[in-house]
Amino acid sequence: MDHAQREKLSELVEELTTSGEPELNQDKMKEVKKICKVSNDYIEHIYHLIMTQMAREHAEIRLSALQMADQLFSRSHHFRTLLVSHLQEFLELTVETDAEQPLPPPREVARKLKTMAIRTVQTWQDTYGQAYKKLALGYHFLKQVKKVDFSDIEGRTLAERRRQEEKQQRLQRIYKDKVTKATQEMEETVPDIEECLTEVENCIQLLTPHPADFNLGSLEPMAACRTPVPVSPGRHKEPLFSGSDEEQPCCSKDLRDEGAAEVKEMTKKEEEECSDEESEMEEILEEDTFIRNTGLMSHAYSLALDISTDLSVKETEDNEAVVNTMRDLQRLISAKHLPAVQSWVQVFTKAGGNDALLRRALDLKKGLQGALQKHEELHIEYRRRERRVGNAGADDEEDDDDDDFEEVPEKEGLELHIPDHLRAEYGLEPASTSTSSVKPAKPAPAPAPRPPPLPKRRGYAEEQDPTCAAATLHVLKQKLASASPASTSGGHVEPKDKEQQSEDKATAPIVPFDIDLYYWGQEQPTAGKIIRYSSEHRFWVPHEREEEVVNQELSAQMKSRYITFAGSFQPVMHECRAPIPNGALCKRQDRAKCPFHGVIIPRDDMGNPTNPDDAARLERERRRLQEEQPDWRDPELMREIEAATGEDLGSSKTFGKGKKGAKGKGKKKKYPNLTDLKQSANTSRSRLERKVFNKSSMRRVTEAMNRVDKRKHEKFSNQFNYALN
Amino acid sequence: MLGFLSARQTGLDDPLRLRRAESTRRVLSFELNPDRDVRRIHGNGINTLDIEVIEGRYMLSGGADGVIVIYDLENNSMTPQYTCSAICTVGRSSRYVHTFSVETVQWYPHDTGMFVSSSFDKTMKVWDTETLKPAEVFHFQGNVYCHHMSPIARKHSLIAVGSEDPKVQLCDLKSGARIHILQGHRGEVLSVRWSPRYEHILATASADSRVMLWDVRKAAGSLFTMDQHNGEKSKASSEAVNTAHNGRVNGLCFTRDGLHLLTTGTDDRMRLWNSATGANTLVNYGKVENDSRKGLQVAVSQGCSIEFAFVPCGSSVAVYAIHTGELLTTLRGHYNNVNCCVFHPDYQELYSGSKDCNILAWVPSPRSHDIEEEGHGSAARGEGLAAVNPAFEDAWSSDEN
Repeated sequence: MDHAQREKLSELVEELTTSGEPELNQDKMKEVKKICKVSNDYIEHIYHLIMTQMAREHAEIRLSALQMADQLFSRSHHFRTLLVSHLQEFLELTVETDAEQPLPPPREVARKLKTMAIRTVQTWQDTYGQAYKKLALGYHFLKQVKKVDFSDIEGRTLAERRRQEEKQQRLQRIYKDKVTKATQEMEETVPDIEECLTEVENCIQLLTPHPADFNLGSLEPMAACRTPVPVSPGRHKEPLFSGSDEEQPCCSKDLRDEGAAEVKEMTKKEEEECSDEESEMEEILEEDTFIRNTGLMSHAYSLALDISTDLSVKETEDNEAVVNTMRDLQRLISAKHLPAVQSWVQVFTKAGGNDALLRRALDLKKGLQGALQKHEELHIEYRRRERRVGNAGADDEEDDDDDDFEEVPEKEGLELHIPDHLRAEYGLEPASTSTSSVKPAKPAPAPAPRPPPLPKRRGYAEEQDPTCAAATLHVLKQKLASASPASTSGGHVEPKDKEQQSEDKATAPIVPFDIDLYYWGQEQPTAGKIIRYSSEHRFWVPHEREEEVVNQELSAQMKSRYITFAGSFQPVMHECRAPIPNGALCKRQDRAKCPFHGVIIPRDDMGNPTNPDDAARLERERRRLQEEQPDWRDPELMREIEAATGEDLGSSKTFGKGKKGAKGKGKKKKYPNLTDLKQSANTSRSRLERKVFNKSSMRRVTEAMNRVDKRKHEKFSNQFNYALN
Repeated sequence: MLGFLSARQTGLDDPLRLRRAESTRRVLSFELNPDRDVRRIHGNGINTLDIEVIEGRYMLSGGADGVIVIYDLENNSMTPQYTCSAICTVGRSSRYVHTFSVETVQWYPHDTGMFVSSSFDKTMKVWDTETLKPAEVFHFQGNVYCHHMSPIARKHSLIAVGSEDPKVQLCDLKSGARIHILQGHRGEVLSVRWSPRYEHILATASADSRVMLWDVRKAAGSLFTMDQHNGEKSKASSEAVNTAHNGRVNGLCFTRDGLHLLTTGTDDRMRLWNSATGANTLVNYGKVENDSRKGLQVAVSQGCSIEFAFVPCGSSVAVYAIHTGELLTTLRGHYNNVNCCVFHPDYQELYSGSKDCNILAWVPSPRSHDIEEEGHGSAARGEGLAAVNPAFEDAWSSDEN
């Protein structure tokens, strides 16, 4: 036996069996046969190779091995003898004769393998059963002991079939229960549903007059307006409504107010209205009777009738009750009746054999859907105001989702030059009042005990912080302030004109009373003077001579005061608005710099920078980042590696997760074509398991439990029966 | 062969020698022959087989479904092709049939007019072969695992019965009574065998992993208990006192001469004991796969130059040389665990019954005519085979060149 040939044979078998294909590669198989034809030694070798592959725990490998075995079986007598002598193992591995050795995953392939193996054994038996006793025995074993029905293409064993039957029966039973339940339910609720449908029908009738009621085509104006309905079927211009309002589309209100004016059998009040109007019209159109008769200004008119087909009903006070009922019914149908009917239909179709019931359920469903459809078509405009007040309870739920999000006015980034009319919005006082900005120790106590405006207070803290936008604003403010006069810095207030004073008073901050105010404007002779003893000995008192020293610090303290600027918080009104991968814009509200997208710059609705300088800078940065990216992370290369290894390195993501990618790169799958058995185990359960049964988490849990245990032991440690365990 | 024949002709050899040599050759060439079949009657596993010694023609089989079948083994059709047919059956329709699995069947050693069967329905029945009706029924407390009648007894007609009860019972066919109880075992008795040499010597094997030898005339107790360590280690470990195996002992068989005793246990071992002294001969048979919870029927050859043991071993039958412990061949053919095998001494055939409902006949392969042609090489042999059966042809298609 040639060693090279042998090696080649092994290689070929390995390749063929691990291809993962449902069919063998014909060329390779031909090569295998060519080698095997030479000598029985090769046959023996390939037999062992095939059996080794067959024993591997992968259904695809086994399937391919089975196909190879089948091809060789029909060709070589030696192979037949070898295989037949070990037919038990062969059957165990392919037909699952041993219950303790189930076929390996993937399941689909395993089923295919079994079916195929049974078919193969059948053909072998037909052709060679006579000559190979053991093959015949194996066939009979399958047929009689394992009860494999060879005509059954599924190749199910008796037990499997019985299981299937039991399952079927169980299902049938469940369905039967369900059907009886559904029938009962149906009998109970069908009257309700029918009632509901009738109500809907009536409501619709009330809301939309039947076309016949309009008497389209009739030339009598009287008849046309026989129904004093609050709604009109859409916007239509009726030439028959002579003299009234051709120009206006008759929507419900108008129709009632003016269109209805033509009605002869009206209530008294309406008649009055009508007469008023008519008299008005008579005044206007007195001279032209033609217009009165036809409603047209001249014979040359061509009138286009625009009758829109879709209806639109507006809720008014008059039809409120009807519309409310309508809405309630619609809700009832869509929330309760329709799902119930649908479930019945499902039950009946699944269970089968209940044609009458099914038809009835289907009819009901059709009716309900029709009602809903009609309701849709009505385009009822509900009055919002009414809903809020009237049935708030019911509507709150609907409004909930709206209330979840607060409407935030959009901001155009940070603008250094703020127009005057926007200042308030930015938390700045109007430029004119900025004279009285932050000052230590306002000399005059404020006349009104009114606290300073809150936003301003909050602003201080941030102004001290040079990193935040408020500081910039502060600088701006001061710039403006320096331009304006009267930045008083302690001392006396000059007697000024009344206007100025009152203005100052209005803007002066209120400070609590303190020592500096107590001595306001007085020179204190003793301020800051302290007596210093030259000797501090306890007993040995020297000649009495006091030394008075003026302490500058202390004297200053008496005249001044420290005010800590707690500042006031100024909420950020702008957003980052940089485009993010999911298509939205970044919602972060940082003051100056977004941690993800850098300095906040004004952007348009699409998230593109409005300032061309900014755009250029961003582009530059992006390019630089891309260049910085190491070459192994080149998407092209990564995609290639992925294709080769079948592992996700994250080439689809532009950056990030580099570590994971690097880790995956080192591992190369042995047989890329086979179905990965481990991959299928990536279910939610397995993921959870990985987390829950993680070593560290387990340790944590045990530790916690031990701690609890120990505590108990400590607590009862002086009781002998607890001390023991 | 020719040498043996000529030596026999000239009277140089002992007449037995030719016979022994030929028998040995035949045993060693056992194969599954398509010419020999045993008809499938049992719808369930075969638990036990027995061939009668008078004519060597009839074989009894007992199945797990309670059915007992008598087969005719003799081929009178003058063709090599033969299917052993069932002569008569105690089927499920019979009112006397065992309700549960038949564990042991045995012909009456001196006449084919009677056989005995025992079953898990807690009975042992003595059948009249002609009428297929039980002549006598013994009832027991628990499941009956085995029974045995002495093949050589002239002075007694006792049946030893091993059941769930640790006491071995002796039933007398003459009186139809259980006349004696042998106490000593602590577990269920899985196998009992009478010695083929001394008619009063009985060996019993039990689930308590002990094998005991009894003289039924001695009332006090057993003669001795087999000890796997020959009394050396038993002093150290009181646990292993006088145990034959480290598991259940479920197979028991005397050699034909009755000098040795073979036992198999669920510790996957087979041991050979000197039946006179109870000493372990320490023959190493290697691993003998054995996970049966019930009794196994082991067979030994007869009239061969070396003695063979046929041991059910998983789904195959292993052939061992008894005294050397060498595994000679493994007979593969069953698709499920083999429960029993029985050797036909006259024709050197082996019948094995398995859980897969098959009884397989292992017959010596016919002496091939090509001894003279051996020089022609394997190609010629292949063609010779192909001539025998077209299915043996290789079928390489020409396009694979």
